[in-house]
Amino acid sequence: MVFTTAVNFVRSRGPDEFWRKRKVFKLAAAYIGRSRNCYSIAIRSVHRALVYATKGRKLKKEDFSNLWDTRITAGCEQHDINYHVFKESLARNNILLNRNTLATLACWEPFTFKALTDIAHKRASEDGITPPKENKVLYIPKRGSQSKN
Amino acid sequence: MAGVVRRIFANLPRINTCNYVKTPLLSILPSVTSKFYSNVPTPYEIVDAQEDRKTYQGVIDNVNRQVAEKKQGRLFAVVHVAGKQVKITEGDVFIVEGYWPPDAGDKISLDKVLLVGASDFTLIGRPLVQRGLVRVEATVIEKNVSHTKTHFRKKRRKQYMRINFYRTPRTMVRVNRIEIVGEVNHPPAVTGLETRIF
Repeated sequence: MVFTTAVNFVRSRGPDEFWRKRKVFKLAAAYIGRSRNCYSIAIRSVHRALVYATKGRKLKKEDFSNLWDTRITAGCEQHDINYHVFKESLARNNILLNRNTLATLACWEPFTFKALTDIAHKRASEDGITPPKENKVLYIPKRGSQSKN
Repeated sequence: MAGVVRRIFANLPRINTCNYVKTPLLSILPSVTSKFYSNVPTPYEIVDAQEDRKTYQGVIDNVNRQVAEKKQGRLFAVVHVAGKQVKITEGDVFIVEGYWPPDAGDKISLDKVLLVGASDFTLIGRPLVQRGLVRVEATVIEKNVSHTKTHFRKKRRKQYMRINFYRTPRTMVRVNRIEIVGEVNHPPAVTGLETRIF
């Protein structure tokens, strides 16, 4: 192919239209309605899906992190200890199990988790570790409470 | 506040196997009353080793006996591998994600054991259990890469779109054996120090 100008070269670059579109259609194969067969609609939903997939990988980690916390908290409540007191006591005892492991133990190894809470109880009572105070709203401005100067 | 909490905790059921000191200052050294120096033993300082030993020795003996008679059953362990903690038991396959030097077929022993559990007891490391007490043997069975992940960024109406693809290395490790080889609370003596200069 002979290009007389650079503009023509730029315009004609890239794979053939069929192959270019086929990449997108392959990703959109399982979509519903026109977003599966109609390129201009398919490309939109494919792009959106890819962005979601990228963001989702990060969200998945956050979700699991929250799930571990929930599981440890549930296990702690079973043994009458506050989550923060539990974590602090373990840290002071130099028991460096991470939250993932603690959650696993809380789920699948109840006796081991009981042993850990026992240790935490002991340490907390020795050191006087108290649960952190809940956030309290100290001042709520009411209508007319602020004086005009 | 601390006192209140202490009383609350004191009412809760828990193990009472401690021989820590709470004796007041004057009862130990009545002659010395310094404003600046405290002669109270630091918390968790063991004053009467004999008494302390009495409280836990029974438990440790039981564990050692069970291990000697091989009645402990199947063990599980929490090991620290490549920056992550994994709970494993015999026959498990776990995946180490990211760059990790061991090659397929390598037999390795996982030495950073944080916790070992059996049906009747749990050994909790602070942070690791006594060195040489537990042997965890594993084999690297496969090294490959994950599926292709697409990293795609796009901003609407800003002519901004980037796409990248990546695959992370993965190593599959089979746990062959977890066993307690030493005696609990009886670490081997340190040897070979005679020839050391430092």
